[in-house]
Amino acid sequence: MSSIPGGLKGALRGDWPVFMCGFRPFFILTGASAVVMVLAWLLMLRGLVPAGMPGGSLLWHGHELLFGFVTAAIAGFVLTAVPEFTRTPIPSRRALVQMTLLWLAARLAYLLAGAWPALIGLWPAALLNLALWVLLLREVLPRVWNAPERRHVSFAWAIAALALLQLGFFVAAGAGGNPLAWLYLSVGMVMVLIIIATSRVSMSVVNGLVEHGHPDRQQTEEVGYLARPPRRNLAIVTILICSMTEFIFGHDVITGWTALAAAAAMLNLLNDWHIGRALFTRWALMLYASYWLIALGYALMGAAWLGAPLLPSSGRHLLMAGAMGLSIFAIMMVAGRIHAGLWLDRRPWQPITATLLVLAALLRAASGMHLFLPWMSQLQAISGLLWAGCFAAYLAMNWSALSGPRTDGQEGCAEPLAAGEEHQGGCSV
Amino acid sequence: MSPLRSLHNALGATLAYLWSGWGAVASILLFCALWELGGRVYGDLVLPGPVATLQQLSGMFDSGQALPELIISARRALYGLGLALGIGTLLGLLAGRSMTAAMMSRPLVTLLLGMPPIAWLVLAMLWFGMGDATPVFTVFIACFPIAFAGAMQGGRTLDNKLKDVALAYRLPWRMLLTDLYLPHITSYLFPAWITALGTSWKVVVMAELLTTVDGVGAALAVSRAQLDTASSLGWIVAVLGLLLAFEYLLLEPIKRRVERWRTEPGP
Repeated sequence: MSSIPGGLKGALRGDWPVFMCGFRPFFILTGASAVVMVLAWLLMLRGLVPAGMPGGSLLWHGHELLFGFVTAAIAGFVLTAVPEFTRTPIPSRRALVQMTLLWLAARLAYLLAGAWPALIGLWPAALLNLALWVLLLREVLPRVWNAPERRHVSFAWAIAALALLQLGFFVAAGAGGNPLAWLYLSVGMVMVLIIIATSRVSMSVVNGLVEHGHPDRQQTEEVGYLARPPRRNLAIVTILICSMTEFIFGHDVITGWTALAAAAAMLNLLNDWHIGRALFTRWALMLYASYWLIALGYALMGAAWLGAPLLPSSGRHLLMAGAMGLSIFAIMMVAGRIHAGLWLDRRPWQPITATLLVLAALLRAASGMHLFLPWMSQLQAISGLLWAGCFAAYLAMNWSALSGPRTDGQEGCAEPLAAGEEHQGGCSV
Repeated sequence: MSPLRSLHNALGATLAYLWSGWGAVASILLFCALWELGGRVYGDLVLPGPVATLQQLSGMFDSGQALPELIISARRALYGLGLALGIGTLLGLLAGRSMTAAMMSRPLVTLLLGMPPIAWLVLAMLWFGMGDATPVFTVFIACFPIAFAGAMQGGRTLDNKLKDVALAYRLPWRMLLTDLYLPHITSYLFPAWITALGTSWKVVVMAELLTTVDGVGAALAVSRAQLDTASSLGWIVAVLGLLLAFEYLLLEPIKRRVERWRTEPGP
């Protein structure tokens, strides 16, 4: 790694292993923000922490979990996966440091927005967030654009779409519009991004190719699972239709039907996954379960809009806390290990944490059902603590893989050495 | 293969088939959203939305009004369809075996297919009056040429070389029937039968609307007279639902089973 002069010299020179590969700083931020933001939200709900930011704490909670927590996960994933998919060099340390600092500054700018004059309000946060997207796109777009057949260009579109949606959020918040509607639209976009990302990752995870070269695993060239485009495209289109309908009509029966259609399209997507025994590994099951959670989330939202006795936020939290949380956890467990030069984690804490994560999402969904409304705040507290605890466990169990030096003598994002292979630098795939 | 294993496979295949229906469900639900939007634009009197329609339909089932009418219509449609499929298929197969018969029957089939069912209905009313026989006959005559044409086509296109080989090897007649004739002919018959099924439902409702005092068609006539759009749509949804269920839960699985030889790679 060449040395680059400039601020934070140590980090840039390569003394800090945390900036060795894109996933490292951002998966740490993902885990940490999950814990901090949800705990802060629970305290704000009880009035124990003042929430002085413009628009109130609900808007902050929605925005920060979407554009803080999820954005960190997206950044970590694309900065690691896109160079691998497109066989291009990994991003420089300088870029990673810049993006990490921007992410942190953007969080602070929202949190402190109540401290400065109302005229300035959320605009600093808007600027910092958008700058982060621009830097991210600068890393991603040239790689996917110049790759053969532009097969991964959908990542760039999804990121650009999220950036525009966030801009919409800030404009609506600043101009007295309905910023919440933009957040809901973004949730749909994030679901689309999960489907796009999972379709890439799942092929190697379900078919056992992710541990290619593991000395103790049986190597198989057999491909039982294929993420075919037709069903995926149907799911993406119905989710986009549902999001647009909700944006236009809001809480409405028409939106309800489109949400049910999105649920059915997600269940339809599961057809590709029903391949028998190969599905029954913890990694495949996590991705499979996150698709189920998307389907259930849309089904619950659809039911709520068609008049069933529950709040739409029940379904929405199955999407975000459930599907999004679980697929982020799964992807961090796979990409965050393999690209640190470690084989997958087979310790029991991992399926237990994944199960608790799903349980947390289900409890949160239950809290919005009329039947459980008397216990709403208790259920939300248990669910929030459980969910934050899962990500705290992730950080604790993976701290050295995320922040420490590599133990296999390799550099950057290289995968673990296959049996009998020599050292090589950079991204080896 | 052990019976337990084959049962397991059959169950798996059935589940996979049913699960593959989610795509269709998604597209129907999107249609419901469009329908709801249409209802919003034109108002409840002109076009009640799917929610209102389904509520009306479930009300009609709860009050015991819907089921008897549906059974009456189903009975008439199935009588007519059964007759048409039986006679049409038999005659079609016979016609398919002889070039002369095929030549003779082609223009007749065209004639029968071209005749609008409403014209048959008028004739049937004159011949059979306002009873059960009128809708049954109309269904029969509307479905007969479809089954006939399908069966004739299947009979005509039978590969004579394969038949010669089978005869040369003195294949037992049962094998000849189940391994050569039936697979080929059913691949022509089934699409025709499914088309006939759809036609039978449409025609029976139309016939009842004009001729009888009971059945779905008659109920539709009543709801029209009362300007009750929700009930009309409720009846339509019930008829369509039955048709879809019949086709996708019964005929389509059978069709896939008999057409397996088409997709299975040879040894």
